[in-house]
Amino acid sequence: MLKFIVRRIFWTIPVLLVVIFLTFIMMRQIEGNPFRQTERNVPESIQRNLERKFHLDRPWFVQYLYYVKGVATFDLGPSLVIRGRDVNDIVKEHFPKSVELGIYAFLFAIVVGVPLGMLAALRHNTAVDYGAMFFSNVFHAVPSFLVATLLIYFVALEAGALPTSGWTTWQSKILPSIALGFAPMALFARLVRGSMLETLQQDYVRTARAKGLRYRRVVGLHVLRNSLIPVITAAGPLLGFIITGSFVIELIFNIPGIGQYYVTAVSSRDYSVVMGLTVLLASIVIFANLLVDILYGILDPRTRDART
Amino acid sequence: MATTPTDIREEGLVEAALGVSGTPIRQSNLWKDAWRRYIRNRGAVVAGAGFILILLYCLIWPIISPYDPNAVDYSQAKLDPSLEHPFGTDKFGRDLFTRTAVGGRVSILIGFGATLAILLIGVVYGSLSGFVGGRLDNGMMRFLDALYGLPYLPFAIITLAIIGRTDMWTMMIALSIASWFTTARIVRGQVMSLKENDYVRAAKAVGARWYRVLGRHLLPNTLGILIIAIFLELPAVILGEAFLSFIGLGISPPDASWGAMAQEGRGTYRTHPIEIIVPSVAIASLVLCANFIADGLRDALDPRTRES
Repeated sequence: MLKFIVRRIFWTIPVLLVVIFLTFIMMRQIEGNPFRQTERNVPESIQRNLERKFHLDRPWFVQYLYYVKGVATFDLGPSLVIRGRDVNDIVKEHFPKSVELGIYAFLFAIVVGVPLGMLAALRHNTAVDYGAMFFSNVFHAVPSFLVATLLIYFVALEAGALPTSGWTTWQSKILPSIALGFAPMALFARLVRGSMLETLQQDYVRTARAKGLRYRRVVGLHVLRNSLIPVITAAGPLLGFIITGSFVIELIFNIPGIGQYYVTAVSSRDYSVVMGLTVLLASIVIFANLLVDILYGILDPRTRDART
Repeated sequence: MATTPTDIREEGLVEAALGVSGTPIRQSNLWKDAWRRYIRNRGAVVAGAGFILILLYCLIWPIISPYDPNAVDYSQAKLDPSLEHPFGTDKFGRDLFTRTAVGGRVSILIGFGATLAILLIGVVYGSLSGFVGGRLDNGMMRFLDALYGLPYLPFAIITLAIIGRTDMWTMMIALSIASWFTTARIVRGQVMSLKENDYVRAAKAVGARWYRVLGRHLLPNTLGILIIAIFLELPAVILGEAFLSFIGLGISPPDASWGAMAQEGRGTYRTHPIEIIVPSVAIASLVLCANFIADGLRDALDPRTRES
């Protein structure tokens, strides 16, 4: 087990380096030299000092190494557009809101999605099953901006029950979290149903029933625990889902999170911010995958050997 | 070519083993079986019909429609659905039924283009990894493990910034650049399991070169899962286009795509919500149909994964 974990962690390092490298190379294609713009009219000596300060006089691979060193020490460099502001400041200011939104959306997805999937599996091939699956199929397909718009239209405008935008009071956090959580919720429901149907047919479930254990206990103890394992592997794509969705949801609800800032930064061509945020988002997903794989190895010993 | 004698011998061997008419009958049975299984699945048939209907509507309606999708007429602005305008009109007085068809052309073309690119990258990466095996496979798969679930949106946005131009073609590139991981994994898995089959060993034993084994025996047998993969990737790409355009970084008005139309509709959702509902429902319908088709195809083409 230890060998598996060490190997898996070891493999994360080159992948992170490659992702940073690709982002770096991609950004260089558009960036150019930010201090060599003619309209700025900077004296030559100052320009040279600036270039030296940001290592722009060095070859690209040295710049890359400096950037990797920066990422490793949690320093994503300065913003190119807003003077005196670091990417770190931007992350500190906007990231907590996105994390909060993501967590609430995730909770909503679990609290609604898992029971829905269980219900569908336990009432397999009944109206309940079909209804739950139709519901989750539809909401897996509906783009989140429609869910968000309809929620705003009916709950916030027509009923006047909740605020239409912002991220301040707890009331304002309800609608965005639900809107962002809808697609993951549908995904959860389908996954739980599928893995639960499979688990229900296992021999150990039949044995438990044959022993005379009550149905409730069999489902609660044996089935649920084993059918939740595959759901954990979905955390990777789920995180991607939530990050992608947050771009849209933060825009609609006017939440000053990382997704909204990303779009702003792209529009204002603040490429060091775009690069820093991309590396940050990618690293989060990569580390989440690492955690999921290790957790999976602990929960399901059968996968350990296959994966080492 | 020097390989011709080997090929002939190998061909002869296979034919001798199966009987002269053996190969064609088996092949037609596989696809006929699949077709029969697909037809039995009522949901998948309805979804297939719906999918074709949407395609036909987008293809034909702009030609026979009496309205110009781009003609601005403020006297006709924000009309509710009626006989003349089945979906109503938008804030510029353009007929939404026609505009949705025109936008659908763009969205669907981007969808299929990007899906093809994803399949291409996935087949090359996956078959290389699965076919060569060993260390290379290990490295390539660890790389994929770590990238699993990486959000495509930031990378799509950066790609568009590099190209510096946003149209249908660049959208295809942007949306495929960080979305091929799953397909590569699926292809690799299929190649790995096929590689152990006796007919592949036989081909190798009679001296078939690696490209012949790969091109003649392995890749044709991945066709089934590739067809499934088309309908798995298509919804993701269509939603990706919608998200990108919705946050204002994709197709932008006055050009129509479903995402761009939703973005335009966002401005008027308080007074005239149908403008955002129509393109969103169009997206949802197509995605829903594609999801059901994928499920049906999986049951039909890959009997091992069928639910009993």
